[in-house]
Amino acid sequence: MSWYGSLAALVPLDNLGHYLHWHFIEISIANVLVIVLMAVTFVAAILLPFPGRRRRKENP
Amino acid sequence: MRKKTFRPDVDAPEWKGGHSPYDIIKEGTIALVAVSLLTLLLAIVFGSPDEHAITIKTWSNAAPIDFASTALSELNGTSTSAQYGAPYNHASTGPQLGPFTLAKWVGVRIAVNTVRDFVIAPLKSQPNQPVLSTDLSQWSQASSSTRASWVANYTKAAGKMTFANGQVAVNATNAGPVPVFIEDLTQMARSGALDQALITQAGFYTTNYTLPLLFLADGTYLANLAQKQHLSGDQWGMMNETGSYPGQAWLWLYTLWYQIPPMTTSGNADVLVMALMMVLSLGLLLVPFIPGIRSIPRKTRVYRLIWREHYQTQEKT
Repeated sequence: MSWYGSLAALVPLDNLGHYLHWHFIEISIANVLVIVLMAVTFVAAILLPFPGRRRRKENP
Repeated sequence: MRKKTFRPDVDAPEWKGGHSPYDIIKEGTIALVAVSLLTLLLAIVFGSPDEHAITIKTWSNAAPIDFASTALSELNGTSTSAQYGAPYNHASTGPQLGPFTLAKWVGVRIAVNTVRDFVIAPLKSQPNQPVLSTDLSQWSQASSSTRASWVANYTKAAGKMTFANGQVAVNATNAGPVPVFIEDLTQMARSGALDQALITQAGFYTTNYTLPLLFLADGTYLANLAQKQHLSGDQWGMMNETGSYPGQAWLWLYTLWYQIPPMTTSGNADVLVMALMMVLSLGLLLVPFIPGIRSIPRKTRVYRLIWREHYQTQEKT
C-alpha cells in the first residue's frame, strides 16, 4: 500500500449501501441519515436558545 | 395624528436595554474556519465512491452479445436513439405536454443517424481492412430496399446469436455485408477503437461524449449496472449515488412524482414532472397571495416558538 493509501478514509463508502424498501419507496440508509440530520438540525434551530441570551440576561 | 396600535406579531418594542458591538467580519471568519475544519475532518473520516468509467470497450468485453445486438439495433433502427425523435432525429414526436410538442419545437439540434454515426462511419475509419472496405463499398452502392432486406435477414437470425472464440456467430443468409459489419464493429469495440472513433468524429480534441453515451444507453449492460447500484429512476434514482454515499435528499419532491401514476409508465414522465414542479414552484412563489395557505404560519404560530423570548417580554410588559 502506498503512503497515501494509509491515509485512506476511515469509513469507505465504495461498497454498495443498505436500502430500506417500503411499497414504492426505496431509499438508502445514507439518505435516511441525511434526512434525519436535516430534521434534527431544523428542530434544534427552533428550540435551542440563541447564543448570548444568558449574557444579555445577566447584563441588561 | 392617531397613535398606531402595537401589534405583537409584527411590531417590535423599542429596546431600552444595553447595546454591545457586533463584529460581522469576526463572525464570518469563525464560520469559515469552522466549516473548513469540519469539511477536512469529514473528508478524512469518510471516503468517496470511486467507480471506474464504463466505456464501450468495457461493455463489449463484459457482454459481447449485448453489444452486438445493440449494434444491430442501431443498424435496423430499433434502438432507443434511432427512435427517440428530437433533438437527435425526426423518428418520433418526442416528449410532449398534451398538445404541445415541446421536443419538436426545439427541433433536431444534435443530428444523430444511428446507421451512419454508430456503424458505418466508425467502420470506415478502420485502416487496412480490405474485406471490410469491399463490404462498405457494397453497402454504399446498394439500394435502400436491398440494405433493408440484408438487415432484416440478419435480424431474423440474430435471435440465436452466439459468441465463441472471440467472434460473433449468427447463422444468417442473404444478409450481404451485415455479418461483417457486426463482427468488425464488435472487434473494434473490444479493442477500444470504437470509443475513440465515436469521440473523434467531432474533431481531434473533443469533450463531446454524446455518441458513446447514447450507444451505451441503448444496450442493457449499463442499465443492469445502474439497477444493481439502485440508480434506476424507478428506485428514486435521483436521490442515490454509487456506493453507500448519500445523494441529493433535497430533490425528493422531484423524484417522488416518478413513482406515482401516470408518470410511472408515461413516456413523457420528464415533461409531466417538469410541468408539475413548475406549477408547485409558482404556488410557492405566490404563497403570500393565496388565501388560506398564507395564513398557515400565523395559525401554526411556529414563529412564536422561535421568537419566544420576544413574546415573553411582550407579555410581561
